[in-house]
Amino acid sequence: MKKGALLFVVLLMLVASGVSVMTAQDAVTLQMWSRDSNQDFLRELVDMWNADHPNQIELTIIPAADFVTRVGVASAGGEAPDLLPIDLIYVPQFAQAGNLVEIGAFIDALPYADQLSASHVHLGEYDGGRYAVPFAAEGSVLLYNKGLFEAAGLDPEAPPTTWEGIYEAAKAITALGDDNYGFYFSGACAGCNAFTFLPLIWASGGDVLTEDGLSATVDTPEVRAALEFYKRMWDEGLIPPSAQADTGTDFFGAFTTGKIGMVGSGAFSIAILKNDHPDIDFGLTFLPGQEGGISSFAGGDSIAITSSSQHAAEAFEFISWVLSDEIQLQMFAARGQLPLRADLVDNEFSREDPRLITNAEAMNLGKTPYSFVYNQLFNDANGPWLAMIQTAIFQGDVDGAIANGQAGFAAILGE
Amino acid sequence: MTTSVSAASAPSTAHSRGENRLGRIAFYIVCTALAALFLFPIVWTAISSVKPPPEASAVPPTFLPSRLDLGNFVKLNEYGRGVWNYVGNSAGTAVMTVIGATLLSTLAGYGFSRFQFRGKGLLFVMILMTLMIPFQSILIPLFLILTGLKLQNTLFGLALVYITFQLPFGVFIMRNSFDAVPREIEEAALLDGCSSLSMLYRVMLNIVRPGIITVGIYAFLNSWNEFLAALIFMTKETSFTLPILLTSVRSGYYGSIDWGALQAGLIVTIAPCILIFLLLQRYYISGLTGGATKG
Amino acid sequence: MSTVNLQISERRAQRAGGSIGRRSAGLFFVLPAVSFTVVFFILPLIFTVYMSLHDWPLLGDHKFIGLDNYSALLSDRQFWNSLWFTTRYTLLITPVIFILAFVLALLVSLPLPGVGIYRTVYFLPVVIGLGSSSLLWVWLLHDRVGVINAILTGLGVMDRPIIWLADSSYAMTAIIMSVVWKTVGFTMILLMTGMQAIPAELYEAAKVDGANYWARLRYIMMPLLRRTFALALILSVIGSYLGFDQFFIMTAGGPQNSTISVVYWIYKNSFTNFKLGYGASLSIVLLVILVILSVIQLRLLRDETSY
Repeated sequence: MKKGALLFVVLLMLVASGVSVMTAQDAVTLQMWSRDSNQDFLRELVDMWNADHPNQIELTIIPAADFVTRVGVASAGGEAPDLLPIDLIYVPQFAQAGNLVEIGAFIDALPYADQLSASHVHLGEYDGGRYAVPFAAEGSVLLYNKGLFEAAGLDPEAPPTTWEGIYEAAKAITALGDDNYGFYFSGACAGCNAFTFLPLIWASGGDVLTEDGLSATVDTPEVRAALEFYKRMWDEGLIPPSAQADTGTDFFGAFTTGKIGMVGSGAFSIAILKNDHPDIDFGLTFLPGQEGGISSFAGGDSIAITSSSQHAAEAFEFISWVLSDEIQLQMFAARGQLPLRADLVDNEFSREDPRLITNAEAMNLGKTPYSFVYNQLFNDANGPWLAMIQTAIFQGDVDGAIANGQAGFAAILGE
Repeated sequence: MTTSVSAASAPSTAHSRGENRLGRIAFYIVCTALAALFLFPIVWTAISSVKPPPEASAVPPTFLPSRLDLGNFVKLNEYGRGVWNYVGNSAGTAVMTVIGATLLSTLAGYGFSRFQFRGKGLLFVMILMTLMIPFQSILIPLFLILTGLKLQNTLFGLALVYITFQLPFGVFIMRNSFDAVPREIEEAALLDGCSSLSMLYRVMLNIVRPGIITVGIYAFLNSWNEFLAALIFMTKETSFTLPILLTSVRSGYYGSIDWGALQAGLIVTIAPCILIFLLLQRYYISGLTGGATKG
Repeated sequence: MSTVNLQISERRAQRAGGSIGRRSAGLFFVLPAVSFTVVFFILPLIFTVYMSLHDWPLLGDHKFIGLDNYSALLSDRQFWNSLWFTTRYTLLITPVIFILAFVLALLVSLPLPGVGIYRTVYFLPVVIGLGSSSLLWVWLLHDRVGVINAILTGLGVMDRPIIWLADSSYAMTAIIMSVVWKTVGFTMILLMTGMQAIPAELYEAAKVDGANYWARLRYIMMPLLRRTFALALILSVIGSYLGFDQFFIMTAGGPQNSTISVVYWIYKNSFTNFKLGYGASLSIVLLVILVILSVIQLRLLRDETSY
């Protein structure tokens, strides 16, 4: 590890001083796999790196639904790629299984190590080691349609700050008729609701897991209240019926029709809305708690180096390039991506659109559950999390939903 | 032989000749209505794929395109490495699979039909059993074997796996095809001094050709349409096949599907299958006649 | 027509008379196919059995646990639910496919002009992969961009779109509809070829005896179709029991976990829950079930074949 760090520091100095690293050392080709969300951006990023670095990166994009399967099978055969950007919630599991290289020494060598997104850093820790750094940042927020707010007689500059506020606004917007609905969520998408529904619970002071992520706290008043909040909006028809079936394909698309008042979403929406739907005047605010308070799900990808890689130092060279000021500003910030470092949140691009700053703030104060079985708990379309939401909201059985949710979580956590 | 058992024998199952015109009209009405139902999804996809992109995902759907527009295909081509990369890989794998599956099935079908040897029944059942295991359950061992053979991430390795999974159907069809060949033909050839192999090559192949083409079509369709193994066994994007592209289009960007690109992708995937079937269907159906009807 | 008789008598002769050629030659011909099967099926199968005796995570190290996976599956409620769901699905879809395929086969066997076109059309969806056809139906059934809801609401059959794939009372119907569309042509062709292989003389004779169309269908065609039927049935039942794509793509096991097939459950255990060893034990159990089912079907349909 030390030798690698030394080599890395030397390389970094060479790059910094503008000396070409094209020396006697042989150039290597690094493999990198990623899931397919945000693939255009990734391709551009990799092309940019390849254009002026001797070590080349070969990028393979894999359909998101099969990404973990793909990586798992490859790891079993010792064929994992060098660079592995993964949904940050998987990092503990991958680290525990011994699939990742400990990169603490590399991280310490970064001058901005203490500015890296806290949630990503936390999720990258396992058993005293550090295994991943941020690669893509996301924070959940509440998007709202200012045009509909205005039409419904609401103040577009004063978005809701409590659940009651959301409910009242949703009611007013739905009352507009003409297929307008006040609120939307993807009713058949497990991961979407971890992203946008969990923060409602957190902001109210509750949680579904204990701090260490080892026990379930589903059967608590905050969880019940949050489920009842959604159920009330559903029962009163403030949410379009199609929400029940949405497996996530309309998670963001629904809002772009211009007929949805509010929806939980993430920073990625800002650029898409601005580019593809200039007619929608949208605002962005924090996801609130029941009586106030704010929270966010700090999501996105972390990047790690797999233990089967022969080129850890070269791989980290790419990582530190991605985290550098230049790339963070010219590639990430300029394209409306959240920067991965707290010291760069306030930059020339975000100053042009305060919504980006709100989103970055949301992410920085956000949480991410730390669990070795996150996927089974929250992401599984057939797991206890989605089952609880569906039972409570669509079947109206909040008590049964919570009882089953608690039992389901406990079973997976091995309690 | 097998081809002679054609639609000519069907009359016997029909209503007695010269039955009323009413029945005939009813037949055409029913059949045409059914045909419309069967064709509709395919035709609808084709129509939608050439709509201008906004119309292709309109809510509610529009019926006819306002004008012909290849925009959806252009957008499809923007996914991943461009559509030709995937079409090329799918075609290459399919060709290898077709060659391998027909060759192996023909040889084995001949062996099982014409020779007695120890363990014959057992080996036959073993090949058929391949049908009964979910592919998902042997992914990991298969991947390890391919890695061991240094064939991971090669279309050739993928084709080897596909060939194996074509064998139950292929060997079954070919064994029955050979069973249906009259023995006199072989005996005559043997008298002329042919060896088993050259007899197979020179005499029998022509006769069982419909069976071979059936196996070939089937191998093509299954290889062309397979998704999971193609995704798992190929490490590099440059070796991905068409179904993987289709899945990427479906999972969309941040949860919004480009329905137009999906329709275009479906057409690109389906069209070659339909074309090949239409060209070869004459053999296909008679191949099944010879192959499938005898247990 | 005599060719058919000839074929049949030939095969009898062949069975009685044994085979020509040397013993080793037969092995030589089947060897390539057998070696492929051994390398890419039997070896992985043995490995799967081996894995099923381990606690084997997708990531990380494995350890031997004997038969624990098998005893765990006995108390795995979702496994039994999935098995029951798959069985129910098979029991529902098989008759639909067979009745429809039989009717279609009868129709396309009629000696009328243009019948070949119908045959081709009914078969056409078979050439589409199950994955592609599932995607196609996801789109057709979509509540907003889908044409089926648009047509049904347009015709006034219903006043608001049905969300087919999210409603447990419709999801199964929708899946069955799509799979029947995609597969019925195959069964139709199998049955049709079986019908055509029946010697016309038998029908003629029956006709002389005064049997009408239905009687000929019932007493001549049906019994003689038994073998074709057995083959088509086994293929169809195995296909249904191994169903995965349609559930994975169309409903992802939803709504409320009401469409989780056995293979989907295997896939989930192996690749969502990362329990490869457990997934392997489920696979072995499923394989055993399928072998037993196939043997039963063969027995049932074969015993009284001779008429």
